[in-house]
Amino acid sequence: MIRRRVARGATGVAVLLIAAELAGRTGLVDTSLLPLMSTVLARAAELVADPAFLADVWGTLIVWAAGLLIAVVIAVPLGTLLGSLPRAETATRPLVEFLRPIPSVALLPLITLLIPDDSAIKMTAVVYAAAWPLLVNTMYGLRDVDPIAKETMRSFGFGRLAVLARVSLPSAAPFVLTGVRLATAVGLIVAVSAELITGGTAGVGAFMIRAGAGFRTDLVLAATLWAGVLGLVANALLLELQRRAFRWHAATSGELS
Amino acid sequence: MRSFRGRTFIVGVAAALALTACGGSDTSSSNTGGGLEKTTINIGAMPIADVAGLFIANERGFFKEEGLTVNAKIIKSAAEAIPQLHSGGLDVAIGNYFTIISATERTPDKFRFVADIYQSKPDVFQIVVPKDSPIQTVKDLKGKKVSVASRNSIAELAVANSLRTAGLDPKNDVEWVPIAFPLAPPALKNGDVDASWLTEPFLTGVQQEQGARKIVDTMTGAMADFPIAGWVAMDDWTKKYPKTMAALQRGLLKGQQIAAADRKAVEKVLPSYTQIKPEVASVINLGSYPTTLTPARIQRVADLMFEYGYLTKKMDVTPLLAPLPQ
Repeated sequence: MIRRRVARGATGVAVLLIAAELAGRTGLVDTSLLPLMSTVLARAAELVADPAFLADVWGTLIVWAAGLLIAVVIAVPLGTLLGSLPRAETATRPLVEFLRPIPSVALLPLITLLIPDDSAIKMTAVVYAAAWPLLVNTMYGLRDVDPIAKETMRSFGFGRLAVLARVSLPSAAPFVLTGVRLATAVGLIVAVSAELITGGTAGVGAFMIRAGAGFRTDLVLAATLWAGVLGLVANALLLELQRRAFRWHAATSGELS
Repeated sequence: MRSFRGRTFIVGVAAALALTACGGSDTSSSNTGGGLEKTTINIGAMPIADVAGLFIANERGFFKEEGLTVNAKIIKSAAEAIPQLHSGGLDVAIGNYFTIISATERTPDKFRFVADIYQSKPDVFQIVVPKDSPIQTVKDLKGKKVSVASRNSIAELAVANSLRTAGLDPKNDVEWVPIAFPLAPPALKNGDVDASWLTEPFLTGVQQEQGARKIVDTMTGAMADFPIAGWVAMDDWTKKYPKTMAALQRGLLKGQQIAAADRKAVEKVLPSYTQIKPEVASVINLGSYPTTLTPARIQRVADLMFEYGYLTKKMDVTPLLAPLPQ
């Protein structure tokens, strides 16, 4: 079942790559502007052995992972609080709805003025972008808790915190993990975008600036490919985690993604 | 139980990553290295040939000899460095003379150039057109779209200089299109613009790969041997860290002297901080690497900016230049 899905996915990717290659070979796309797909793939393969590029990937991974971690530490408790206190949620909603649509990348000039460290600048942008899906999913997860289960706990004399720890949080956990997955995807986008804008000592985006300034479109695109691979791998890992940790949830709700 | 351990592990890894990240961003200011006020310097550089001297100095340990650790941070444009100079994220950055002189007039910021970086030479900055373009001379640019790396910059000044020399009015006779260098070749090829003001390695790139044609070398006449960029810091910074500044200047000067005297050294260092192919590095036109910072030379920039209307009044650049160490 999974193997068949992977095979289909791989076919889709292969068809796209071949189409891109043909577009270049037949002259549909000017190869002096857009290098052949085979050239890009060859460059991407070479980059694996390039220590400078690996340092850049490492730089992106650190910003991404640390940003996500900080976002989880801030947004999940906050979401738990707002999700279990409806009045507090109502009071903060206008603020949340105002702040949420601001693109994290648009805040970079402000963040740059306030924070004197280039990794911290990018992490802050990642935290800002990643916090929203985490916050919102946690809040919805808590609101979605089976009221009968909560009432049952209460009628057995359990206090608020006990209900939260034994019913609400476990029940909301799958939503939180979905939030983590969304935040991971957004986090990578913002990490690479921030690097593309602010540069810095390391990062896939900083590599793309250097490649662009050297008039090496092939390398820019090869780095783009690797950025995509990073996102794919992270999402696959989290899906696997979600499948293992919440088998009960997927089974009961029938939502096997 | 298994999933619980899995989660613990992930949290552990993430925490470890966060700690590593914090460790990596340490900006030390301890007093080692002969009474320097700070020993770690973050310097913002664009990945272009101009800053070869910095990377030569770093590679050959000239900063280490001064007790300095210099971290080169890649930035996209000199204008973006200014907020980071303010916040302290960068101690020093590449600054185009045009941009810094213009900012000095328009904003309350006080800057100091601590060393010169780059000066134009023939054919380092040209206006090019596509292979089959009807445009033959600068006069033909009337009513055309010309791309420059950014508006209100040395780029615009250089193109304006050529336009005026050809009897055109820079304000009204062309349409300025700001396009970053890496994106200009496709814009030129696709006809989004009629002409582009480019520098290396893009000049060699568009000429070799697209057959683009030079119509004029912009760095002639009033702009011959024109100062392009220098290393700039905030005035406060230079006052707070005078010994650090002097140590940095000595290290930069040694690197700059090598860049000025030995083209091969520049070609060799270029691929270490840009992705220029070595075979391209050996053929591109390079500017010169001045080893002094004299007011008379830099004054030309302010004077020409005033003459062309980019400054509202005359400016004396002497206060913008930090003294060089003896």
